[in-house]
Amino acid sequence: MSHLSNDLPSDSPHFSSEEIAVSVRHLDYYYGQGDLRKQVLYDINLELSKGQIVIMTGPSGSGKTTLLTLIGALRFLQEGSLNVLGQELVGLSKSELVEVRRNIGFIFQAHNLFDSLTASQNVEMAVEVLQDWGNKRQRAVEMLAQVGLAERVDYKPKALSGGQKQRVAIARALVNQPSLILADEPTAALDKQSGRDVVTLMQTLAKEQGCTILMVTHDNRILDVADRIVNLVDGHLESDQNFTAFSQTHDPKALV
Amino acid sequence: MKMRTPLAWFNLTHKRQRLLTALAGVAFAVVLMFIFKGFENALYDSQVQLLKALNGDIIIVNRIKTSMFIPEKFARRRLYQAEAFEGVDAAYPLYTTTADWKNPDTKKIRPLRVLAFNLSDPVLPLPEILAKRSALQMPRTAMVDSKSRSEVGSLAIGTVTEVAKQEVRLVGTFPLGTDFTSGNGNVVMSDQNFVRYFSNLGPDDDERNLNTVDIGLLKLAPGANASALIQTLTQRLPIDILIYSKEDFINKELAYWKENTNIGFVFSLLTVMSFFVGVIIVYQILYTDVAEHWAEYATLKAMGYSNFFLLTVVIQQAVFMGLLGFLPGFLISFGLYRVTADATGLLMQMTTLRALNTLVATVIMCLISGAIAVRKVQSTDPAEVFGT
Ligand SMILES: Nc1ncnc2c1ncn2[C@@H]1O[C@H](COP(=O)(O)OP(=O)(O)OP(=O)(O)O)[C@@H](O)[C@H]1O
Ligand SMILES: [Mg+2]
Repeated sequence: MSHLSNDLPSDSPHFSSEEIAVSVRHLDYYYGQGDLRKQVLYDINLELSKGQIVIMTGPSGSGKTTLLTLIGALRFLQEGSLNVLGQELVGLSKSELVEVRRNIGFIFQAHNLFDSLTASQNVEMAVEVLQDWGNKRQRAVEMLAQVGLAERVDYKPKALSGGQKQRVAIARALVNQPSLILADEPTAALDKQSGRDVVTLMQTLAKEQGCTILMVTHDNRILDVADRIVNLVDGHLESDQNFTAFSQTHDPKALV
Repeated sequence: MKMRTPLAWFNLTHKRQRLLTALAGVAFAVVLMFIFKGFENALYDSQVQLLKALNGDIIIVNRIKTSMFIPEKFARRRLYQAEAFEGVDAAYPLYTTTADWKNPDTKKIRPLRVLAFNLSDPVLPLPEILAKRSALQMPRTAMVDSKSRSEVGSLAIGTVTEVAKQEVRLVGTFPLGTDFTSGNGNVVMSDQNFVRYFSNLGPDDDERNLNTVDIGLLKLAPGANASALIQTLTQRLPIDILIYSKEDFINKELAYWKENTNIGFVFSLLTVMSFFVGVIIVYQILYTDVAEHWAEYATLKAMGYSNFFLLTVVIQQAVFMGLLGFLPGFLISFGLYRVTADATGLLMQMTTLRALNTLVATVIMCLISGAIAVRKVQSTDPAEVFGT
């Protein structure tokens, strides 16, 4: 548990002069139309500074995934302001949103690997989206080696364990060295040890590449990797603090 | 390795069972299309197999003989006149009539088509006929089409039976095949025998002599320009005849049967239906595949791949399916054509052009399926893969 040390940012959300990766201001979000229109996010204000690892927790249905997909440029936005990596997302067209996504690494609860492709080919698909052909294989293999799968580059997902598959998915998300990683319960499908390994890996790689991570999780065993923990309740951002403060104010059992 | 990862290919091939089902589906549609198209073609091809076998570059017929079905004749001297033109090497008359044939086994009477010509003219240069020219010189001899209907009876050499109620002796057989005008089959005899049998018929029948010709054949001198010559002949000869290149005459005959029978239409319809059966089969397979991979496709979208890219993946998969499925379909059809031809005597011909046409139809079939199936991918919302 080396990450439980005190080298976390002393006092939570002050990023003053630091560079900002994501800036959310007065963001409301609704699902549905007309009578079925239902608000799920209320006046969200959030800033993620570069290089931070932020964990978002909150009860089921509180809007975590929704916020993540908005930041990930996966949904249309008309109101408020959402600035991701220096780009204002509100009002962008679909194809402009696609461009923004290329700088973001996504990690899902399910690995979503093509079972017809080897680990390396799955990772290469990510390299190819940037029209980078020359050394795609080399980059994929290096990335897989970094996630500890050097021996498994030519295996198909079927021949990999759950944790290994998730590590391939992480390699795929990280191979283009994105400035922002969005992860939604990346450990939910993994056992305790694999989950821990995957998160530690994300942390190490993120620190090396200097990228920002926003991770949704219900898994209180991994909260310690966070520089910051935000809590979303019923579409409202309730608390925003570092791990130590968070663990003092929250009964661990209530987090599950 | 400067290539894109061939995702479509891997998706298609990685589950062997799925691949085999897919290819069997495509092959099934291909076989249906080939078989129905084959019957339709056989129907029309057989109408012109005699014309194709005739040895002439230019064909002359009576102006009102709009099809082989119409028994109109023209004056033989038109052929002599044509022969005098520069560029014409030879002119051959062909006499045809319909005659009653007595089945030597059952004694039942069946109509056959008689083809008669001067044996020194290579009018119908089938090797079987050329080999029997001297036997055919003998009075009251004939050869019969070995592809005649079985109603014609046994065709062994030396068989004696009756044609037009007069004795005839069989000296051999030749393979040609029946058509709508041929009755139960074809008989070949010398022009001299033709006169013997058909010049002194009763008052009700059409008496024949060698002065009127059913079909005239012109052979061109080497290097002669056929279309120019046809134009000259048409201008300079009396207007009671029509002059065609052999190819035009064959096409005119085909057009006549296409316009005047709807059995061809039935087979065309069946071919088109097979095409759409194929569209549905391929669509089902592609849709299942796409639906199974929707989360992966949505992830690609989240990674920044465009809808257009996903479209190309599904379309490529469809085209691969078409090409791979065509091959077994073609081979099976090829075999079935043989079997059908042997069993029924139908003229089932697999030509390169027809194979290519069906290949193109197969690829279009798969493209349509792909275009429908791809809508599933295009509508996948990458936001949906989160939280699932
Ligand atoms: N596509 C959608 N259309 C309509 N309503 C939706 C849609 N997706 C989510 N919702 C609703 O929006 C609210 C927030 O959902 P969201 O998935 O963001 O919650 P969450 O915090 O991620 O929950 P969980 O922890 O269970 O994953 C919920 O009430 C949910 O029912
Ligand atoms: Mg969720």
